[in-house]
Amino acid sequence: MRKSILAMAMGAMVLTTGMVHAQEKTFNIWWFEDADSAEGIAWSHALDELRANHPDVTVNFEQKTFAQLQASGSMILNSSQAPDLLEYNKGNATAGLVSSQGLLLPLDDAFTAQGWDKILNEGDVVLSKYDEMGIYGSGHIWGISVYGEYVSAFYNVDMFDKAGLTVPTTMDELVADFEAFKVQGIIPLALGGADTSGQHVLASLAYTKADDAWIQNYQGLRAPLDTAPFLYAAQTMVDWVANGYVSKDSTGMNDDDAALQFMSGKAPIYISGTWNLGKFNSNIKDFKWGQFLVPTPKYSVGSTGNLWVVPKGSKNVELAEEFISLTLSPKYQTEMANAGGVAIAADPATITNPVGKNAASVFKEISDKNGLGFYPDWPVPGFYDVLIQKVAGLLQGTSTPDEFVAQLKQVYDDAQENQ
Amino acid sequence: MADIGGASTDDKRSYYFYMLPGAIGFVVIVLIPQIANFALSFTSWKGVGVPRLVGWHNYLRLLTDGQFWGSMSHTLLFIISMTIIPVVLGLVLAALLFDYIRDEFGEAVSSLFRAGFYLPQILPVTAAGVLWGWILSPVGVVNTILDAVGLGGMAQNWLGDATFALPAVSFVIVWIQVGYCLVVFMAGLSRVDPALYEAAELDGAGWWHRLVTITIPMLAPEIFVVALTTLIAALKVFAPIFVLTSGGPDNATLVPSYLTYYHFFTTQRVGYAAAIAVVQTILTVVLAVIFLRFQARQESKE
Repeated sequence: MRKSILAMAMGAMVLTTGMVHAQEKTFNIWWFEDADSAEGIAWSHALDELRANHPDVTVNFEQKTFAQLQASGSMILNSSQAPDLLEYNKGNATAGLVSSQGLLLPLDDAFTAQGWDKILNEGDVVLSKYDEMGIYGSGHIWGISVYGEYVSAFYNVDMFDKAGLTVPTTMDELVADFEAFKVQGIIPLALGGADTSGQHVLASLAYTKADDAWIQNYQGLRAPLDTAPFLYAAQTMVDWVANGYVSKDSTGMNDDDAALQFMSGKAPIYISGTWNLGKFNSNIKDFKWGQFLVPTPKYSVGSTGNLWVVPKGSKNVELAEEFISLTLSPKYQTEMANAGGVAIAADPATITNPVGKNAASVFKEISDKNGLGFYPDWPVPGFYDVLIQKVAGLLQGTSTPDEFVAQLKQVYDDAQENQ
Repeated sequence: MADIGGASTDDKRSYYFYMLPGAIGFVVIVLIPQIANFALSFTSWKGVGVPRLVGWHNYLRLLTDGQFWGSMSHTLLFIISMTIIPVVLGLVLAALLFDYIRDEFGEAVSSLFRAGFYLPQILPVTAAGVLWGWILSPVGVVNTILDAVGLGGMAQNWLGDATFALPAVSFVIVWIQVGYCLVVFMAGLSRVDPALYEAAELDGAGWWHRLVTITIPMLAPEIFVVALTTLIAALKVFAPIFVLTSGGPDNATLVPSYLTYYHFFTTQRVGYAAAIAVVQTILTVVLAVIFLRFQARQESKE
């Protein structure tokens, strides 16, 4: 009996939600940036403005999580339950996949009609375009990103000053700074070895040995994996653990634990993405902190942010486009930057928050030299988890750097052959 | 409602009507998805679009997939920590609470312990998992205490070191499972005639003797049920792994359910995930049938 009640309840749910969708004057929008993140703050204010502009429209906002859409986004977009506008993860395996399956509306016309082409430069829309196979870089425009992301080293300025150290501009200087902290009995680098920051450190190190051809081949899945940069990165990480620059216990920590080590002033350096800016901006009160890029010749781990996409079943395309325009407008770009976000189109002169000001200019610097190397997990669906598991194996010593790159190569080449 | 069609004399037929809602539920929620899953296991599918038939390809791939075999071997270990240890421990604890604690310290103390052991079953696994994550973190409660009492050398990277991750997760699972076994066994014990124990005691049988000669044989039906349900739970364990380690470090705690989830949702090899699920389902059903056969034979012997 219980099962039949469940079935009936499910049936009723499907019916009622179907009815809600039948009402025309409703605008459904989802995003997954946290409410207290810079994007979340700016976007909710932009949504207030949209509400004020259209008093006759009921605006329904639903807060999603990254994991939710990562896990079931394609199925939601393939159903009648999709909203009118949503934030979607950029990349071949996500936005590329759903665009190639015809689940999104192209935004090429709006791109010029709404004047987005005057705000965003060519590099800002590389990840907006996906071809028929769902590969980024060319084809129609399927989504719009209104912010940037990059991985950098967060550092505790007070601890650096106290130790008489300067911001490193080369790998040797970075290692020298590590050594100086270690001599004082401080483990310099906080690392979430069971989480994402492990692969961000790995990629940051690999990109110090990466040229244009390597990045394009790697991210485009164009050739079997050339493992040399990863071998260097893996060897370096193993050395860092052996030399005591990274705790050997890091594999038991996730990013939150590692970020806490940095925020509590225990670790002077933490290498991770700009999504930490909002958190650090509001939580670190006891010391001065800053950011420096891991010294690489050209490429940094980073990209434009996640995309606004319009599902094919959207009933309010005009409102969706109006909202994208709002989030790209100077007003909300500046607000985002002032909340510590990485604005893509804000006038630096109007940004008052030094964190957001610095982030916007660093992002512009990387973007202007075409130095966005993207994330290491992008080329292969599921590579994200493979990298987490294998980096943990590397850090805890169950695989040597040679075994580690062989394992990555096996998964990568398998995907490359069977794409 | 029972005498539909006026066939009030035909009791048997009217019973079938009552089975209908359950049957519909079974078909919609269990049978159709199972069939769909079976069909999908012969396809290559990304979760959207049209599935492409690939024959036995997914199953052939399984044979050489080290991750899959690794996850299977971990399942054997989880049978120990989800079935064998909790059943044995539950049995001993139940007998202890029923036979000793209750007599010596009274009903209230015994109930308190029983509730305490059962609490992990009531706590949501996700909440318990997050708490255990903090407890077992390298800078967590366990290591802090070990350091404080001068046993810092025993502090380990519990969930982050392949050597300790599987035992640590197993420990948490035992903690979750033991209450379930305990409560069922205690309910079973209340059925046992106290005269048996009294007679045994008069004959000079100690606590251990009473456990082996009275408690265990009398509890055989409960032991079978608990062993079967926990065995099935062990074969499809997912939540504690998902919350505690995500199968890590370096796949040291990977289990088939997590591998299915991983391929379904992140590599988007839905067909391959379905094949793993099919193998897992067949294995579970086969083991359950063997177990039930065995139980039926034991019962007919008595």
